[in-house]
Parts: sequence; C-alpha cells; structure tokens
Amino acid sequence: MKQSETTIERPQLCVPREHAVSRRRLLGSAAAAAGVGGLGGLLEPAVAEELKRNDKQVVFVWLDGGISQLESWDPKPNTQFGGPYRAIPTSVPGIHLGELMPHTARQMHHMSILRSVHTQDNSHSAGVGRINRGDPKNRGVVYPYLGSAVAKLLGPTSTGLPPYCWVKPYSGGFKTSDAGFLPAKYGALAFGDAKAPENLLLNESISLEENEARNDLRKMFNRRFTQDRRKDWADANSYVFDVADTLMQRMDLFDESKIPEHDKDRYGRHALGRHMLMGRRLIEAGVRFVKVNSYHWDSHGDNFNACESLIPQFDQPFAALLEDLDDRGMLDNVLVIAISEFGRTPKINSHVGRDHWPEAWSVAMGGGGIKRGHVVGKTNKLGTFVDSEEYDIGHLFHTWFRALDVPEDLMEYDNAGQPLPIAHDDCSAIEDLLV
Amino acid sequence: MRHLVCVLLSVVAVATSSIADAAEPLHRRIDQLVAKDFDGDAAPRTSDAEFIRRIHLDLAGRIPSSSQVTAFLNDASPEKRQEVIDGLLASPDYADRMTNLFNVMLMERRGDDDDWQAFLRTCFAENRPWNQIVGSILKPDHEDEQLRGAAYFYTRRLEKVGQQTTDYAGLTRDVGRMFLGIDLQCAECHDHLFIDDYSQQEFQGLFSVYQNLSIRKEKFPAINEKTMTARVDFISVLTDEKGSTGPRVPFGREFEIPELPPVDPKAKPKRPDPNEPPTFSALKLIAENLPSAENKQFRQNIANRLWFCMMGRGLVEPLDEFHSENQASHPELLALLADEFAAHDFDIKWMIRELVLTDTWQRSTRIRPGSSPPKPKSYRLGNQRRLTAEQLFWSTLQATGNLERLTPGDDEEPAEEFSELKAGFVTAFASEPKEAAVEYTPAVKQALFLLNDSKLLDLLKPQPGNLAERIQSLPNEKVVDELYLSIFSRLPDDDERAAINEHLEENAKQRDAAVTRVAWAMLTSIEFAVNH
Repeated sequence: MKQSETTIERPQLCVPREHAVSRRRLLGSAAAAAGVGGLGGLLEPAVAEELKRNDKQVVFVWLDGGISQLESWDPKPNTQFGGPYRAIPTSVPGIHLGELMPHTARQMHHMSILRSVHTQDNSHSAGVGRINRGDPKNRGVVYPYLGSAVAKLLGPTSTGLPPYCWVKPYSGGFKTSDAGFLPAKYGALAFGDAKAPENLLLNESISLEENEARNDLRKMFNRRFTQDRRKDWADANSYVFDVADTLMQRMDLFDESKIPEHDKDRYGRHALGRHMLMGRRLIEAGVRFVKVNSYHWDSHGDNFNACESLIPQFDQPFAALLEDLDDRGMLDNVLVIAISEFGRTPKINSHVGRDHWPEAWSVAMGGGGIKRGHVVGKTNKLGTFVDSEEYDIGHLFHTWFRALDVPEDLMEYDNAGQPLPIAHDDCSAIEDLLV
Repeated sequence: MRHLVCVLLSVVAVATSSIADAAEPLHRRIDQLVAKDFDGDAAPRTSDAEFIRRIHLDLAGRIPSSSQVTAFLNDASPEKRQEVIDGLLASPDYADRMTNLFNVMLMERRGDDDDWQAFLRTCFAENRPWNQIVGSILKPDHEDEQLRGAAYFYTRRLEKVGQQTTDYAGLTRDVGRMFLGIDLQCAECHDHLFIDDYSQQEFQGLFSVYQNLSIRKEKFPAINEKTMTARVDFISVLTDEKGSTGPRVPFGREFEIPELPPVDPKAKPKRPDPNEPPTFSALKLIAENLPSAENKQFRQNIANRLWFCMMGRGLVEPLDEFHSENQASHPELLALLADEFAAHDFDIKWMIRELVLTDTWQRSTRIRPGSSPPKPKSYRLGNQRRLTAEQLFWSTLQATGNLERLTPGDDEEPAEEFSELKAGFVTAFASEPKEAAVEYTPAVKQALFLLNDSKLLDLLKPQPGNLAERIQSLPNEKVVDELYLSIFSRLPDDDERAAINEHLEENAKQRDAAVTRVAWAMLTSIEFAVNH
C-alpha cells in the first residue's frame, strides 16, 4: 500500500520490521561477517595497540522528549504542516535550517545533517532505550547506551578520567543502568546541574601525603584478600577508587571562577548553556564521552511557543561548542551528535502541538570523521515520510563507530561467552556521512 | 489453547511433594541435590571466623563485635555453630535484618515509610508466614493499625510522577515480579514475543484488578478499590486478536464478576464516595488466591528469592523470569524447597535456618591455590554477596566501636549525627531506585564517600568506648589483633601481623594517626565491603 502524503497513519507499535537490505549494505555486512570469524570478543594484539592510540572523543547532546525536526534541522516553510517559522540560509550555500537556529546556521560548514532517519518506536519508555542502545537485534540481553559502549570499546583516554560523563539537570551520581549487560563500571558518572559530585574535595583533615599513604594500605589489604578469591569484584572496587582519585585531582573543572565571563555569555547562562560549556571543559580535560542532556522537548501542546523558548537554548551553546572545538583544533577528533528519541509529527494536533514521529526525522552530527557541510537523505515535500533511503539508529551506530575508528569488523562484545555484535547486524555505516 | 493447558497444569501441580521422606532434615537433602551436579571438588567449610562474620551479616544485618568473635573462636563446643544460629534467629536483630532485606527487595529503593517499616518488622518479629505477609500486602486493611502500613507497596507505586498518569501497568508488573517471579511487562500489549508462557491474558487479568485502585486520603498508606463491574477487553497490537478477561491470578482461573443488584431508577443518584468499600472486591480474590500453597508459581518464587538472598544467586535467574524455557539450574532442588516451605506453612525463620545449616551455605569463598574458580551456579565455592547500604552502615558502626554510642534506644530520637551518617551510607551505597539490588555495584560516589565524608572519618576518632579509644590504652602487641577482630572479624595471620606492626613501628611517633590510617584502609577494603 502506498502511503499518501497527507494521511498520516502509523503502523502498529513493536512490529518487528524486516529491514530492506540494499545490495550495497548486504555486501557490507557479508564482508564484516567474514572478518569476525571466531574472535569471540578478543582483540587482535594489533587492534588493541591501535585502540590505545585512539584519541577520538564524543559529545552526545540528548534532547529528551523529541526536538521537532520541522522547527530545526528539516524546515518545510509554507507547506501544510510547516508551521509559522521561516527557513534561513546557513554558512553552506543551499542548506537551510529553521529560523530559530541562527547560531548553528553559521556553523553548518562544521557539521552534517541526516534527514532520512526512520526508527521503530514512538513511545518514550521504549524509544529512549532503543535509540541510546542502537536498537540492535534482540538477543535477549540489554545493550549498553552509546556512552557505555564507547567507554567499553575505547576505554578512558590517557588522562585516566572516567570515560563516560554525563552533564544533566537535577541529580548526579553514578548511573549504572546505562551499561546494560556490560559491567557496572561502564555506567555514566553524572554531574547533576554540572556540579561536582559530593565529597569530591579531599577532606580537610587529610593531607596529600596522608591520602597516598592510606590508599597504599587499602591496596595492600585488597591484594591480600584477592590472593585466593574471585578477582572481578575487587577489580571493580579498585577501579572506582582510581577514578575517584583522578577526579579529585581535577577539582578545577568544577570551579566556576575559572570560567571566563565571555564564555558564559556565549553559551548562555541557562541550564543547557551551562551544561554544554561543562561538556566542552570535560572534553578538553580528556573525558572520552560526554553526554549533555536537557528535558522537556515533548511538545504535545503549544509546540511553537515551546520551540521558540527551547530551540534558542540549544542553538546558542551548540554553535559555540562547534566553534570552540574548531578554534582549538579539536574538531577532527571530537564527534559531536545532537539527537532525541524520535522526531515530531508533521500533523499539528488540536493542542497546537506535535506528537511523536519516528517515521521521518533528522539527526545532526559533526566533527571527528564526519563530512562537513553536508545533508544526507531527504523527506517528502510535506515532511511526512522519508523520500530517500531510510536509515535506522543501527546505521548511525555503525557510522559513529566508524567515525571513532572502532574497527567494527573485528569488534564484538563478549557477554560471558556469548558473542554480541556491537551494532545491528543488518545495518552498516552510512558512507555518505563519513569523511 | 496453550493457556488452558497452563491453567490446568498449575491447578493440578499442587504441593504434592511428600513430607513422608522427611526423616532426613531439609538441609541435608539440599546438600545432596547440590552435590549431585558437582563437576569437581567443592571448597571446604568456612573457618570459624568466616562463619561468625557471615552468619551475623545474614541474620543480624551487621558484623559481630570483636568480643563476639573472640568468644566464638574460643568456644570448644562442637555444636557452637548451631547455637549461634539459633541465638541470632531468636534475637530482635533478626527482625530488623529481615525488614531491611525485604524492604530493599520489595520496594527497590522507591522510597521509605515508617508504617511500612513497622508492618515488615511486626511480620518478622512474629515470624508471620509468607503467604499471610503477602496477603496483607495484596489486600491491605486500613483498620488494622499494626499491619496497615502494608499498603505502601501499592501507594508508592500509585503515586503520580509529574504529569504522568498513574502507572497501573507498572504496579501490575511488580505484583507479578515480586510474588510470582514473572515479569509480564511485554505482555501488556501483546503475548510476549520470546516467552511463550507470558500471554497478554495473564497481564490483563491482574491489570483489570489494579486499574481500580487509588490512594485513599489518610495519614498512613491506604488504598481504595472501585467495584469492578465488567470484564476488560483487550486487543493484541501485533495480531489484532481480541480478548477479554475478568480478574485472574496469572496462570490461574478467571473469577466471575457477580451481577450488581438492580439500581432503583427512582432513587436519587448518590455522589460517589471514594472511601466506600466496593460491593465486589476483585482485590480480595487476588489476595486470597495468589499467595496460596496450591499456587506453584507463588511457592517457587519465594523459595528462589530466599535461596538467592542466602546463596548469592538464584536457582532461576533473573529472579523474575520464571518460564518453561528458563529452567532452574537445579530444578529438583527448587521444587523441594518450594514444596517443603509450603508444607511448613511458609515459615520463613524455619526455612532460613535450614538454609544456613547447609554445607552449601557454609562453604568457603576461598579458591584452592592453583585451581581456577568454578562456575557460580555449581555452588562448589561459596558465592560472595553484596551488602545492603544498611548492612554496611551497621557494620561500620560495629567495627569502629560506635554502635552502642550512636544507636538510639527504643523510644529515643536518633542523634543528628546518627541520622546524617545513615543517610550518607544510603545515598552512597543503595542501588538505584527501581533497580533490583542483585549485583555488587561499586561506584565512584561510594569511593568519594569513604575517602572524604567527615562524619564517616569521625568514627575513627577517639570517642568514649569506641575502637580508637580502646586502642589508645592497649599495649602495642595487642593493637593489630584488636584491629583485625574488630574490623575483619578474624585474627591476622603471622605475615599480616608483621606487616601492620612494621607500619606502626615506622610511625611510632604518630601512633594514633597510624592506627587510624590502618583502620581506615581496612574499612574501605574489599574484604570489609562484601559478605564473603
């Protein structure tokens, strides 16, 4: 049945869809399969060496609830569902963004947009997990979120800072659930409202020498205990103490007075601005993967006023981030991604809102390994459906792993003997997005 | 059709396992069944020191004091382990420990409530049978002052978060998870894709009851139930197949909804009173039929959960994925535990006593030099277990000799220091809300707490009667033993004694500081952090 452009019907939830496999993708995955043969999650020594030198980093901006693609990355002005906003030109001739994104428009030459995203779930409860985990083939295990996956695949950078940090509104802490089946240590260390975690400051009664001496003793007791016991728990325990120690030495990251006023203005003094600026500082400090997120994008009601309030709070710091990373010569190494769990319906509902729309939406990315100033894929005139090859989150995971130089053909997780591909077996990288 | 078969099976498969061959006590029969599957040597029994620490953590919720350890090590009675077990089971600490264990298991750190705590404590202090405890939770009685706190299991889950609607599906799911060991989440909208036993009907039969609950406005947790007047219709989002069901316990029969008395058309319509009891309570039917000896799923779930709590892993794992494709590691053992537990009127204390009397529970966690560790499910080696935040808190007070000084009496308000310190432990060590506390999950925030929290570090400063003060007056040669007995609940071996003595001698000029340093390092080591 051909879907008409004006009647928007969603297929039923949860239907396991056959992925249409193009000839090129089929060849791609066959080649990948040939390379996997029996490695069982172990790296070849040469690959392990290569990873050690890998200095790629990631900033992952999560706009929870779903940013409207029509008011941002894929404007359709003067069409039935286009809404009241105009499209504006960007630093790349021929590419337009919604008019609520003037700052990002000036940085378009640093990034690319994928406008043919088509995913499988329109509920928050399942969709958030699906997108963050790359929606791999179901093998009865809970996959890690992208940040935990990268923490596992690339590890911490040479700085020893925790590989996966998360700057978020509200509370901080260590969020193990992101790790899925991976060991809890690959979870996210969350900085609530960009603040230092509790107890980060060395207790005033303890000198630096005393701290070292007491930790040496602690390690001695641990060695003694694990001589004849299972090692995994002790290793995990030692690891968190090491990370705590490294973090304690970077108290300066949480010192507001060290941030130039000029930067505070450029990123904006609202939460997302402050959090994105913290994200940049964590990347500069050497954190492998930084997630920055903001809530309240679920504009079922009053979508246009919501966008007018929210999108500028994203636009300003996101553009500043791209600009700063480029200024510092870091953009070649830092992959920047802006994404939600889905897009929003073209159809405007009776509350002047847009609902959930996984059928046709956009993801923006830039920096390390990604082509610059480029748009891949398109939606139809009304923005209701994809009008080019559809790409699911599995394709994006393959693309990002490639951009990060994770040698994907050789990589799989080893879940207690069960080999698990790191991204959906039937998907492959989107070549048009890769340098 | 498959469901019919399921229903029949579960009705027929009542607790028929014979109590006839009960000549052999249960703990022996457990050991025989575990040993049947051994694929190599089993580790020896724990040393006395390992035993006394483990049994205190499991039955009293904290490590023993140094004098308790010494007394036990010096006790020559061959029956001393059994004597300690029986002493601890009879002590009020047992009820506190069980309250903590079941609170964490059933509420998964969603929140806390004094009435709920009081309910659990009453149940365990009186050793109420598990089926009665579950009955009180499933149909809370707001007029029973002692037990009404049970409603918190429902009310906390009925609370709305932000603009979200009441999560009846989540509540339904948790009733299945906690009391039947089945996670029906995916069966809300369609038959489970990968688990044939989890049909949409199983979910909807429970859901039909729970969607009628609401929070009753009282100063304590309480609920109201609306009368169910009709079966609920549902439709599979996958197949469009329609179904309908009245209230039913998963895998059980459907209960009939009685006809309502005819409404007098002339009567003035009354304003509905939410506090009015329902004319027909479907919840009562669930509460009467779900926690019963005849319900195999109910028996096996609790047997598996108690086994998990004491042995470090479930016979069925995950704990809430019982189904025919996910067999128990030891099916015969699971059936035995479940049937014997039911046959003993769901006597939790009896069951726990049998479990800790087994060789399986008393097996050491130490790996023989040169051998590789066996698979955890073989039980050839004792499995290490995580401590709850509260176990760690009480053990820290015990180890540092601050237990008596800080613990409030029965009618006393706890000191500010006590409350803050306890909250600090819970914040740092409790599992995340809505997550089953199953794995050992060290975290950076735990390390930072142990490294820098002032209230924690203060426990190591001399205070009347605490470890630091005690040690100040001890001669040098006794210091190391006292540290080991107090914190590790054992004596040091010669190498350890020499190493620590050397450290203390090197720092003889700052003896107090050196003792504090050693004590801190012991408290923050992995040996203190887990039940081994």
